[in-house]
Amino acid sequence: MDKKKAIDDTEPGPAPSRGVDRFGFIKPEQSNSPDGLPKGKSIQEREREERRIRKWRKMIGVGGSDWKHYVRRNPHVVKRRIRKGIPDCLRGLVWQLISGSRDLLLLNPGVYETLVIYETSASELEIIRDISRTFPSHIFFQQRHGPGQRSLYNILKAYSVYDRDVGYVQGMGFLAGLLLLYMSEEDAFWLLVALLKGAVHAPMEGLYQAGLPLVQQYLSQFEKLVMEHMPKLGQHFVEEMINPSMYASQWFITVFSYSFPFHLTLRVWDVFLYEGIKVVFQVGLALLRFCHDDLIKLPFEQLLHALRNFPEEATDPDVLLPIAFTFKVSSRLEELQKEYQKGPEGSSETSTSKRHQPLISKTMSRVGSRVISNLISDKK
Amino acid sequence: MAGRRAEEEYDYLFKVVLIGDSGVGKSNLLSRFTRNEFCLESKSTIGVEFATRTLHVEGKIIKAQIWDTAGQERYRAITSAYYRGALGAVLVYDVSKPTTFENISRWLKELRDHADSNIRIMLVGNKTDLRHLRAVATEDAQNFAEAEGLSYIETSALEATNVEEAFQLILGDIYRAISKKPVVSDDSGAGAAGGVKEGKTINVAPGDAGAEKKQCCST
Ligand SMILES: Nc1nc2c(ncn2[C@@H]2O[C@H](COP(=O)(O)OP(=O)(O)O)[C@@H](O)[C@H]2O)c(=O)[nH]1
Ligand SMILES: [Mg+2]
Repeated sequence: MDKKKAIDDTEPGPAPSRGVDRFGFIKPEQSNSPDGLPKGKSIQEREREERRIRKWRKMIGVGGSDWKHYVRRNPHVVKRRIRKGIPDCLRGLVWQLISGSRDLLLLNPGVYETLVIYETSASELEIIRDISRTFPSHIFFQQRHGPGQRSLYNILKAYSVYDRDVGYVQGMGFLAGLLLLYMSEEDAFWLLVALLKGAVHAPMEGLYQAGLPLVQQYLSQFEKLVMEHMPKLGQHFVEEMINPSMYASQWFITVFSYSFPFHLTLRVWDVFLYEGIKVVFQVGLALLRFCHDDLIKLPFEQLLHALRNFPEEATDPDVLLPIAFTFKVSSRLEELQKEYQKGPEGSSETSTSKRHQPLISKTMSRVGSRVISNLISDKK
Repeated sequence: MAGRRAEEEYDYLFKVVLIGDSGVGKSNLLSRFTRNEFCLESKSTIGVEFATRTLHVEGKIIKAQIWDTAGQERYRAITSAYYRGALGAVLVYDVSKPTTFENISRWLKELRDHADSNIRIMLVGNKTDLRHLRAVATEDAQNFAEAEGLSYIETSALEATNVEEAFQLILGDIYRAISKKPVVSDDSGAGAAGGVKEGKTINVAPGDAGAEKKQCCST
């Protein structure tokens, strides 16, 4: 059912061809960096892994039939399990369930096809230019005009038609590309819609709208959180004139999918889809906390370099995520958002007020607005 | 030790921004210049990137601090903050893509709106290796550059043609411009030179940029 490109780490599937890691990324020459798993797993580990998958299968039910029921009864169990990582073989399906994209897909039969086949987009050239520059080191996207590149193009074009206001913005390709490694084109498209239009969490289209209002807001919130949780480091940043737009823009714009080890990206996405954008703040803070004592000594240039090249130990999800979850940021994020929107900086009134209304966008294509109103009526 | 000193000691620190349409080769010009690397399959730039190189220009040791920016129009909301305090701008187009040349005047306007008024600007026609695909004549670009008061050079990041020369050109241009002006040797010019504070830096407060130095890179 799911077009799965990633090589699963628990099922004894075909061994990855040489030179490619277990996710399908071409390994840099003679790299000895671990791709997130110890080489040989003990029998106990394998058994534990299999038990885990059985638990997950039970929780989901056939094709996701039991999922909603389970979540309603045991939201905390679900949250805990997701934080430990969704089994890779179930990831694509679970992502669709927790993001609300499954519902969107079912509500809008045939819409994606229409967008791909019949509509034309003003962004087509811009999209094409970036296709080969999105996950260029992944085998699925390597082949020029191959299935990976074609699907990526289709999704991005479809979205640029679906919301002509947003169109295509660099960075969206990394979200779409990541999703395509775990699900079909149409499923990936609706997951992108679910995220940007806000099916479950606050809409994220502000990341890509004119003026990038949500990027600006997130960066401002992040800067304040750093100051509050790590005042010394925050002060050091001020003195060295380091500002989060210099290192964290891509964390938010691509939700950690641009330049971090893939196994970390996946674990962040597991949590991100279930709990929302706050995990990006938490992981960002955790990275700074982990490297705190080094960062605080560095002058501007080295500091900026360090903020863009975290050491391998820092990007191990089993180390980083537990640190991330120690930061309680939800309520503070809300306050900071209100402050930001009141303050002189957050003066782009139209986009800020729009941000509060999930699923409404100013001028959408015919098809697009129909989809959205369907979704709204479903929610009531 | 000697090597380290060579990296850290310099007479001037110049902040330069790389701008131009997406895909014209800005990131590769930068990696060619700072690391002598070229990548046919590089990722598109999200937001801003940063690299430095120290080199000799006109007998002085110059540290070039170069900010590479995402080229897509939408990103100017973030990237234009980085024009402030830049002493030089490298404005790149792709010699095989006429639209990237046509857009140069929009980029110039962008600089006039956001950069310091005395910023030195160099126009660069990149990808000269694509000989059979050339669509912008050298002469047209040269005439345009002359009319606008920009220096001009053609490069190929792929073949490493003129890349070194291009940066020499803009850095020399900046150097000549500022050496006509009063030089401040304390820290007060740090912001103007790109928000950098470093011990032995001799910074330059380029005239009217001084007023804006504190706002450098704040968004
Ligand atoms: N033939 C050729 N290709 C180049 C040259 N410079 C960059 N490219 C390619 O053009 C594409 C975009 O380059 P990039 O540096 O990412 O452009 P940017 O968006 O301006 O930063 C990449 O595929 C590069 O490999 C060049 O001098 N010659
Ligand atoms: Mg670039």
